[in-house]
Amino acid sequence: MSGFDVSDVPLRPSGRPSRPVDEHTLVLGIETSCDETAAALVLGGDDVASSVVSTQVDLHAQYGGVVPEIASRAHLDMLNPIVARAIVEAGVPESRIDAVACTIGPGLIGALLVGVSAAKSLALAWDVPFVGVHHHEAHLYAAFLEDPTLEFPLVVLLVSGGHTMLIEMQDHGRYRLLGRTIDDAAGEAFDKVARFLGLGYPGGPAIDREAVNGDPEAIAFPRAMLHDGLDVSFSGLKTAVMNHVRKHPDVSSEDVAASFQAAVVDVLVHKSRRAAQQVGAKGLVLAGGVAANSSLRERFLDACVADGVQGFLPSREMCTDNAAMIAAAGWHRLRADGATPLDCGAFPNLRIPGLT
Amino acid sequence: MLILGIETATEQVSVAIGGHEGVLGMFEVCRGRRHAETLTPAIQFVCQQADIELAEIGLVAVDVGPGLFTGMRVGLAAGKALAQALRVPMIGMSSLDLLAFPVRHTSRTIAAVIDARKGELFYACYKPVPGGVQRVLEPRCGRVDDLIADLMARGDDTICVGDGALRYADEIKNDLNCEFAEQFSSRPSAGPLVQLAHARALREDWVNPWEIHPLYLRLPDAQINWSSRVQGNTDATGGTVR
Ligand SMILES: [Zn+2]
Repeated sequence: MSGFDVSDVPLRPSGRPSRPVDEHTLVLGIETSCDETAAALVLGGDDVASSVVSTQVDLHAQYGGVVPEIASRAHLDMLNPIVARAIVEAGVPESRIDAVACTIGPGLIGALLVGVSAAKSLALAWDVPFVGVHHHEAHLYAAFLEDPTLEFPLVVLLVSGGHTMLIEMQDHGRYRLLGRTIDDAAGEAFDKVARFLGLGYPGGPAIDREAVNGDPEAIAFPRAMLHDGLDVSFSGLKTAVMNHVRKHPDVSSEDVAASFQAAVVDVLVHKSRRAAQQVGAKGLVLAGGVAANSSLRERFLDACVADGVQGFLPSREMCTDNAAMIAAAGWHRLRADGATPLDCGAFPNLRIPGLT
Repeated sequence: MLILGIETATEQVSVAIGGHEGVLGMFEVCRGRRHAETLTPAIQFVCQQADIELAEIGLVAVDVGPGLFTGMRVGLAAGKALAQALRVPMIGMSSLDLLAFPVRHTSRTIAAVIDARKGELFYACYKPVPGGVQRVLEPRCGRVDDLIADLMARGDDTICVGDGALRYADEIKNDLNCEFAEQFSSRPSAGPLVQLAHARALREDWVNPWEIHPLYLRLPDAQINWSSRVQGNTDATGGTVR
C-alpha cells in the first residue's frame, strides 16, 4: 500500500481559475438524490437551456416506496445517457460548459454518491469547477427559474416526500427556518394514506386523482396544531384516517381522500399565510414535489390573492426533482463561495447552508 | 495508449495509469476515507505525479465487481463519466479476475474469493495458463459451505486468494487441504487492472461507456424479500380496505 494519505495531497481547487460568474456562465446540473435521474444546462443562473429527467417511479411502485439499492442501480445505468441528452438538447458544445453542479445532500447516500462521483469526474475531465449543491436550497431556486423578478423577503413552503418546511428566504444564500413538520413529511402522509386506501404509489398524485370526485367536507379530520406556531404535524391525521376507515369500512375512498387532502392543504395554507404575515414577506412561493398537488396549488394562490402578497407556483416540472434547479442553485453557490473541493463526498442529512 | 484504471470494489481505493511501458503511476489506500472522497483527488494526484494530462488518457478501465455495491458504484460512475467526457472507450474487468491474475505463477487451481458481507462470498475459479489465468468456474455468490462444496467437487489442488478467503480461512482449512495467497494480495488492485486492460486494448476489445454494466451477482434485498413474499403468501400486504 502506498504511504500517501489523500489529505496530504496538495490539491488544486477543482477546475481552472474560472472567469467571473455572470450571465454567460453555463452550468451543468446533476440530480440523483432520490428516484429521479436528472441533468440540465442553465445559463446565467436562470435561463434553462435543457432539462432532462428520468423517473424511476415504476421501478419502486410495487414496493410502495423508494428502495435505495434499486434507486442507486438505476442512477448508475441512466446518468450517462441523461447527461449526454441534456448537452445535445441544449445545442451547445461540451467545451462551453463552465461548471458542474450536483446535489451532495440530503438524500439517499448510495444514490447521491453516483451523481457526486460522476459530476466530479466530469468537472475534472473538462477542467471546470465542481459545485456541491444542497437539494432543498435548489428547490428554493426552482421559482427563480420561472420568475427571476421575485423580491425578497420571500416565504417558501417546501413540501416533498422527505420534508415539510416553511423557510424565509431573506436574500440569495440567506435563509431562516420558520417552521417544519415535527413528525411525517406531507408527502410521506400522502404515501401512507394512499397505501392504506389501496390507491397505489406514489401517493400524492393517487390521492389527488381520487379526491376529484370526493367531498372534502364529508369527514372532519383533525387539523393538528393549527393555531400553534408555524410547525406542523401529520401523524395524528394519518392515524385518524386509518381509524375512521376501520370504523366505517363502507366509506367511499373518494370522500376519505378528499377530506384527508383538505385537512393537509388547510394546515399548509394556513401556516404559510401566517408565516408570510409574520415576516412581512413580499412573496409566497410553493416548492417541492407535493407542490404539484392541484388542490394545494389552487388554495395557495387564492390565499395569496386574498392577502395581497405576490404568489408564485412553479410549474409541475419545476416542483418535482429536476436538475435545472440544481444548476441554478449551483450558479449562485459558485458566485458566492467558489468551487467545492474534489474530495467532497455525499451527505444524507445535510443542513441548508446559510440557514439560521 | 495510456490507460487509466479505477478499482473500488472492496474497501480499497486504487487508481493506476499505465500503457506499453507498464504501470507509470499508482495510488492505493485502504482504511482511508470513503471511496467518493478519495477517488477523484487520487486520479488527479496520479496524473500530476506521473506528469500526465487527463487528455492524454486513451481508455478508462474499471472494476465492474462483484464487490461492495456502494463503493463499486463510485468507481463505475466516476469511470463512466470520465470516459464520456474524454470521449474514450472503456474496458470492464471482474474483481475476481483481478484477484486471480497476480497469483498465476502456480500449478494449482486458483479460487478468488471476495467478502460479500451478510455471511456471503463472491467467488470464481481459475486455471493458470501461459501468460495469465483462465476462468473455470463462473463468478457466483454463496455462503462458505457453497464455496467448499464447489472446491471439493473440482477435487483440484487449490490456492485461495482474497479477503473473503482470509475471513473464512479456518472453515475452508477444516474441510480442504489448500494454500492461501498472502495477505498482501488479498484485494483487487488497479495495477493488474491496467495490465490486463492493456492486453485487451491491443485487440481493440473495448466498449462505449454506456455498455459498461456492474456485476452485482445479488439482487437488492427488497427484491429478494418481495419475491419470497409473493411466492409465500399473496395476502401478506394486508390492511387495505379494497
Ligand atoms: Zn426534492
